[in-house]
Amino acid sequence: MALPRLKIKRLYALSAENKRFCFPQPLKHSIRIGNREYEVKLKADEKFGTYILWKNRKYPVEIIRSRQNKYEILFNDISYNFTVETPFSMQRMKVLSSGRGKNEQEFLKAPMPGKIIDVLVREGSTVVRGEPLVILEAMKMQNEIQSPVNGKVVKVAAKANTNVMKDDILVEIKVE
Amino acid sequence: MKIKRILIANRGEIAVRVMRTARKMKIETVGIRTAVEPNAMYVSLADVVYDNTEDTSEIPVYLNVEKLIRIAVETKADAIHPGYGFLAENAYFAQKCIDSKIIYIGPSPDAIYKMGNKTIARRIALAAKIPMAMGSEGNIGNEEEAVAIAEKIGYPVIIKAASGGGGRGMRIVRKPGEMEKMFIIASKEAEKAFNDPSVFIEKYIENPKHIEFQILGDTKGNIIHLGERECSIQRKHQKLLEEAPSSALDNRLRDTMGKLAVQIAKAVNYYSAGTVEFLLDSEKNFYFMEMNTRIQVEHPVTEVVTGLDLIEEQIRIANGETLKYKQDDIKLKGWAIECRINAEDVQAGFAPDPGKIEKLSLPAGPNVRVDTGIQVGSSVIANYDSMIAKLIVSGKNRKEAIKNCKIALDKVWIKGTKTTLPFFRMLVRNPKFLDGSFTTAFIEKDLEKFYFNSEYEETLAAWLATKLFIEENLMDDSINVDFENSKEMNPWLLNKRINQF
Repeated sequence: MALPRLKIKRLYALSAENKRFCFPQPLKHSIRIGNREYEVKLKADEKFGTYILWKNRKYPVEIIRSRQNKYEILFNDISYNFTVETPFSMQRMKVLSSGRGKNEQEFLKAPMPGKIIDVLVREGSTVVRGEPLVILEAMKMQNEIQSPVNGKVVKVAAKANTNVMKDDILVEIKVE
Repeated sequence: MKIKRILIANRGEIAVRVMRTARKMKIETVGIRTAVEPNAMYVSLADVVYDNTEDTSEIPVYLNVEKLIRIAVETKADAIHPGYGFLAENAYFAQKCIDSKIIYIGPSPDAIYKMGNKTIARRIALAAKIPMAMGSEGNIGNEEEAVAIAEKIGYPVIIKAASGGGGRGMRIVRKPGEMEKMFIIASKEAEKAFNDPSVFIEKYIENPKHIEFQILGDTKGNIIHLGERECSIQRKHQKLLEEAPSSALDNRLRDTMGKLAVQIAKAVNYYSAGTVEFLLDSEKNFYFMEMNTRIQVEHPVTEVVTGLDLIEEQIRIANGETLKYKQDDIKLKGWAIECRINAEDVQAGFAPDPGKIEKLSLPAGPNVRVDTGIQVGSSVIANYDSMIAKLIVSGKNRKEAIKNCKIALDKVWIKGTKTTLPFFRMLVRNPKFLDGSFTTAFIEKDLEKFYFNSEYEETLAAWLATKLFIEENLMDDSINVDFENSKEMNPWLLNKRINQF
């Protein structure tokens, strides 16, 4: 998906918390603090792997996921999710999001690989935030997987005594 | 020295730790090579390697009593060190060693049994007049009984596995309505983890500090304590950071608690290294919790402030030697902090994040010690615990130890899995950690953010995402990676791509 390069004057990286980072295009290899620009270097070597060198310090970096314009970056052992938008796609997103209604669906995913010990809800159950929905055993510990939202269970994918992978959907909840 | 060769019935960092001391004492070690991690670091450090890679049983060899005894006989080991976890607190295993004329480096089977069974341990502590939280006389038979006893003690209560430890089979109950569910969960978990579903109930002490005393005893009846460790930084009863000494104790309280810890150990004729755990409430009342009859993960902080090598002491005691130290010889010097660097995703509720360690660089220096069983190319596998390394940092006082810790944390470089490093970077900047007022509820109640990032780190990450987007979409000679079709790429392969930029 090659985009017409000349028209794009800046790019936005939007974080999962909707923080907006604006970078001029062509991209400068520096970050400004106050009035000073500090050079950013992306490097890699045998000992440290890939890292960013900034203000005399090495920070480990890694791409965890990359899909279309979505990136999960591991920076200094912390992961960040960004979508990178052009001024046009930003505009389009604003239009789209203004028309989006409520009734969002929440997908409760397995936070870690393990075995389902018990499923505590059924389709149609009303759940509240913090209510345990599934008991998942991982590394010999039983973990309560709690509902992140108030809502109604529309689908139960988790089955007792089955193994799940990380990020497998366990329960779908209609947010209320 | 009777002991000439020790079979290490364990793996990972503790196997490496025992081998290090054995080598210093000119004792040979036997390591067991297994199919799941044939190239583990501890295997390369053993003097003799027993190849067990043909054994594809689902149960780790470190839990197979008969097999371990056979391996010891076959490799002519005259002693076995159990490490921690696995069979480290298994009276049957200790007895089997003795029966097979192999020296067990640990306490007597009788002491292991008595302290391992929490209901018996409670009775012993009660008889020895050790302060304890109110609780059930013995094990609880069913939910109804549990409800009745909890009513009598008063909520909140804690259900604990009689044969338990490490937080498994443990549940806090705050309301009668939760009891039935929690009782069943605790009991099931206990059965699975310890092969014993029996549980008992204790009054739950709100927001205590976890204070434990290191005990050392010989087979002649001499028992001393080596001061305390504070292990209140824990999540779901799993310790994350430990320090020695504790800022909550003064010399008088240390003396009182230390004497009682010795008293409990005496009640079971304890020898070898052991740990007596207490809960300390905000009024400085303390309650006996349990005794661990093995070397503990956090033993290095005690070694740093006492100057003793606890593994060496264990070996000497097992060899029949008399303790070289009297209580008055033990002087605590300075402060030590241990951070457990685990392969866990702090941003996903500390979920285990197994993987292959691609790059590893660990700090060193006069105030830094690192105990690890991992090297570049090792894998943190889901079969075992998620530990990568223990970072032990010291200073002349707590403030200096924390300062040194902060510096050391930024020198740890691990690639291949997510780690608990961002958690510790947060911790060493947290006011409640700095002033020492934290309790075991700290992580669950006092924290909003589980990691630390400096102001510009997110900006730099955003810059990198933007750079990648440009490389992939806006450059004429953009590299050919088809992200539409390959949903996930190996996260640790950025290296190769950057070299193409």
